[in-house]
Amino acid sequence: MAKYVSKLARREFLKVSAAVGALGSSGLINRAFAAGDTVNFMAWSAAVDLVKSHVAEFEKSIGIDVDYANAPWSNYRDNIITKFVGAAPLDMMWVSDAWLPEFADAGWIAPINKFDNLMKYNDEAEDFCNDSMTYKGMQYGLTYYTDFMAFLYDEDALKKAGIDAPPATWDEVTEQCLKIKSAGISEYPLMLALANESWLMNFLAAMVYSHGGRFTDEKGNAAMQSPTEGAVAALQWVVDAVHKHKIVSPACVETGELTGLKAFQSGNHAFALEPKYRMRPINDPKQSQIAGRCKQVLMPSSNGGAHNTVGWMRFHGMSSATAANQAHAERTAKLIEWFGGRANGAYKFQKYLFTDIGAGFGVKPLFNDKDVQASYNSYADVEMIKAQQALALKSDVVTPWYGEWQETNASSWQAAIVGKVSPQDAMTKAGDKWDNLKQEFS
Amino acid sequence: MTLQSTKFSVPSEKWKYKSKRSERTRSAVIFIASIFLLIYVLAPVGWLLSSSFQSEAEIVSVPPHWLPHEPTMENFNAIFFQEFEEVTYETRRKVDPAAGGYIPSTAKDLLPSMWNSFIISVAVVILNLVVGVPAAYAMAKIRFWGRQASVYTILTTRVIPDIALVVPFFLVIKNLGLLDHVMSLIITYLAITVPFTVFILVSYFESLPDELDKAARVDGCSRLQTLIQVFLPLARPSLVAVMLFAFLTSWNEFLLALMFTQTIASQTLPIIVASFTSDFTISFSFINAAGVVAIIPPVILALFFERYIVSGLTAGAVKG
Repeated sequence: MAKYVSKLARREFLKVSAAVGALGSSGLINRAFAAGDTVNFMAWSAAVDLVKSHVAEFEKSIGIDVDYANAPWSNYRDNIITKFVGAAPLDMMWVSDAWLPEFADAGWIAPINKFDNLMKYNDEAEDFCNDSMTYKGMQYGLTYYTDFMAFLYDEDALKKAGIDAPPATWDEVTEQCLKIKSAGISEYPLMLALANESWLMNFLAAMVYSHGGRFTDEKGNAAMQSPTEGAVAALQWVVDAVHKHKIVSPACVETGELTGLKAFQSGNHAFALEPKYRMRPINDPKQSQIAGRCKQVLMPSSNGGAHNTVGWMRFHGMSSATAANQAHAERTAKLIEWFGGRANGAYKFQKYLFTDIGAGFGVKPLFNDKDVQASYNSYADVEMIKAQQALALKSDVVTPWYGEWQETNASSWQAAIVGKVSPQDAMTKAGDKWDNLKQEFS
Repeated sequence: MTLQSTKFSVPSEKWKYKSKRSERTRSAVIFIASIFLLIYVLAPVGWLLSSSFQSEAEIVSVPPHWLPHEPTMENFNAIFFQEFEEVTYETRRKVDPAAGGYIPSTAKDLLPSMWNSFIISVAVVILNLVVGVPAAYAMAKIRFWGRQASVYTILTTRVIPDIALVVPFFLVIKNLGLLDHVMSLIITYLAITVPFTVFILVSYFESLPDELDKAARVDGCSRLQTLIQVFLPLARPSLVAVMLFAFLTSWNEFLLALMFTQTIASQTLPIIVASFTSDFTISFSFINAAGVVAIIPPVILALFFERYIVSGLTAGAVKG
């Protein structure tokens, strides 16, 4: 009897297992990614409602279905690479300019040059944006948004310290920080967020470009180690700020951009390097202790630098698998145009992205839009923004080996900042790594 | 010798007093250390709770307010009471102070994602028991060829880092047509949790005397009956431990969920919470409110099964 019960139980177990297995492979619970005529659109989880509303309007106006999905920015790149490698249905996606060489060389994304309805927008886009989307002579998308690293200050902190005008050079930054520090207004007047995260390169590039330096020369060889034209002066300034003047916290190497933003919003610092779009939440009384007091000034200069800063952009790209299917590619190109170009005759997405959130746009006609001008002037000075944007430079380290090099570069900067190596040695190490990688990849 | 013995057997009043005092001092030191430890452990949780009721402006105030000066339910309202409506240009949630919010529009996805996490975690726990318990019993009590090798093989699968499994798993899930479905996570989480479940239970079953097994068999029990009627009641602490492990692993897992899900039909809690940090404007107080909601189920589970956890995890560890 026991044997019978035992066998029965085993049979029942097998039956249940088989049923579960069959259910798993059946269409009842099989919800694969949308395929066929539907355009699969992948983005990072930003401005989600705006994207949804713009997609809904596209479906209504153009009559093409869109399957929109998103993933957190911090893991977006890994996510999308897995989908490329796994050949998951993916037609249009947001791409960072920093990934372009890697994605293009891997054959994951396709040029859009053959789509006249997309290329016609180049005349109205900032040259910097078009350049950032171009790799080996081919253009890979239309702009989603663009921004630059800005130098911000707390107007009240300067007034309390008896400072009449914000700094124009890095030497003046040092002087004013020391004055603010000695007045007891802030222990570390300048906030630098130099934790090893995705933002780090933008902070470093802003420091280097404004010091008149470059990471690479025109031929793409390492220039960062040059004592006069490279990154050494910028790094030396940071090292002095931390150790000699004590105006930047030694914890800057562990401070991420978001943490730094919140620290600046709390009134802990008088100056900060922040992406320009952060001005909006910093001047929002619901989110910030220094609302209304945050102003922007041109990035301080030094060593012949011309108040340059670094600019970056993100774009709407098309997968190579999609480009291979003409009909589907055309459907996808329509969606790219809807987001990156004009939608029903207007740059609606870029405008709403800006008026809703403060994210910068890469299409020049929007500067003439009255809503845009009013929005900018409600928390910033539109003329200052235009002036600084004109001085923004494209990153000079966007290459297929960027990720690998940045590991060495980031640790070199951090080692110098914590005092383990000299700035010159740190930049020499980063430069050597760059040249080695360049040789390997070529 | 006799005198010395007498001295030792009857401690003096002074010695008794000293001994009592040293015991009290010891207790006081332990008590104070416990208080510090408690503060150290609970302070982040306290701040999580406190800041979830604060506005974004208050959360960045210096010095921080441990008790909210102007408590607000705005974050929790966004999570629990946000209405689902079609998103259009007119109804879109603008991240604009003038429009009333920096709370992410995906706040309404938190509860559905929690439900997904719950369904997945419960399914993984049940399937872990269905698969792991018989496997562990067989490996612990049935002598068969390759038994030891089976145990090691199962454990070896856990040596491979999860990141190395992402692409192979992705291809399997894609070919099964399960992308963006909760089943994709149930299947892959089983691959992660079952080896640990088997390992813990094998250790525990081995610590139970073989005579129990033999006696049950002599009394006419089948293998299944022996397992269910004899071993399972004795293995309750270990079962609770593996259930908790499987539940919490599934509840917190991020990497695979990120890869295999992409809409709220299957996205889990960690993915939605992570998405709150990647919008253009980020609210720490809202993220903390989401954190409060997210820790409630695991905390309830941990409190409920607290007395079994330590005994379950250490069961079999000191077996001779």
